[in-house]
Amino acid sequence: MATRSGTGQPTSRNSILIAVGIAAVVAIALVAGALLLRDDGGSSAAAVDVSGIPQEGSLLGDPNASVRLIEYADMQCPFCAEYSERMVPTLVNDYVGSGKVNADFRVVSILGADSEKAASYVLAAGKQNLMWEYQQELFRNQGPENSGWVTDQVLRKTAAAVPGLDVDRLFADAESADVTAQAHENMQGFQEAGAQGTPTLLVQIGEEDPYMIQVGLDPAALSAALDDALGG
Amino acid sequence: MSDRTLRIAAILVTLAGAGVAGYLTWAHFADQSVICVQGGGCEKVQQSSYSEIAGIPVAALGLASYVTVLALLVWDAPIARLSVATLAVVGLFFGAYLVAVQLVVIDAVCLWCMANDLVIGPALAVLTLLRLRT
Repeated sequence: MATRSGTGQPTSRNSILIAVGIAAVVAIALVAGALLLRDDGGSSAAAVDVSGIPQEGSLLGDPNASVRLIEYADMQCPFCAEYSERMVPTLVNDYVGSGKVNADFRVVSILGADSEKAASYVLAAGKQNLMWEYQQELFRNQGPENSGWVTDQVLRKTAAAVPGLDVDRLFADAESADVTAQAHENMQGFQEAGAQGTPTLLVQIGEEDPYMIQVGLDPAALSAALDDALGG
Repeated sequence: MSDRTLRIAAILVTLAGAGVAGYLTWAHFADQSVICVQGGGCEKVQQSSYSEIAGIPVAALGLASYVTVLALLVWDAPIARLSVATLAVVGLFFGAYLVAVQLVVIDAVCLWCMANDLVIGPALAVLTLLRLRT
């Protein structure tokens, strides 16, 4: 190695090369580590991609579709999360995406404080017309009932996973009077429908009164109920 | 520019970097929104999966790096000069990666992070490399 005469010190040019060389190696290792060790929450992709489908508030799909599927759901309800994962893909891919049916997600709070808080944020996402993306993401991050899992951190993390969702606005809207009024309206609709639990599904044909359907977690049963409504 | 001037400038830049990294670290652990002039961008970046490495916030790693750099600048032995320049260049490269992630992957920009990655990091790298030439 070239040295300054008599000092044993590396020359300045060599020092710079050493610094940059070591730094490059360390930086490559660091970036590789960052990519390999980043915590993606272990979550899979959303149940179904609704990005190309019209959305307004709680309504997904063509507002003029002849049949509407109304779902009352509590964000803490494990069965609702299962429904979101196993049934919504059939609903969206086979019916909503093609414009035959539209889907109305009416979030309610029947299980406790975590339900109320989660519902406010889901409704707030609806003000940005991203309710369906957000509720799917929140369902995928659902915690144990009334354990206090609906923290600001969880709400931010899930919101950040939804492309286009303004997180600051979401937090502001969740506290708004509009959202409170909508939550109250949903609860009223839930009770008037005679629902006993969540998820509760109702089918509405045109302007007729909605009627309740029981399809469990069987996509074929949901298809049959919707085909029946479309055929009638 | 004299070595003394470069050293003082490097210390000031390091303090600025530690301030930014410290604020972002605090916001992360205190579960607070980051003050941001561009709606949602900072939040999105801070809450993304790229904001942590093995559960450690990137901002905290940055803060630890700045504290180390500061200690090396104070020590100022020949090996410390080489180490601080190496660390600063690592920060420069890693900052470039973080900028690319924000622009290409997350599709959101955190201005605090950008200030660190595009201004403070490069400035520190230049100042500490220049000190090796003196």
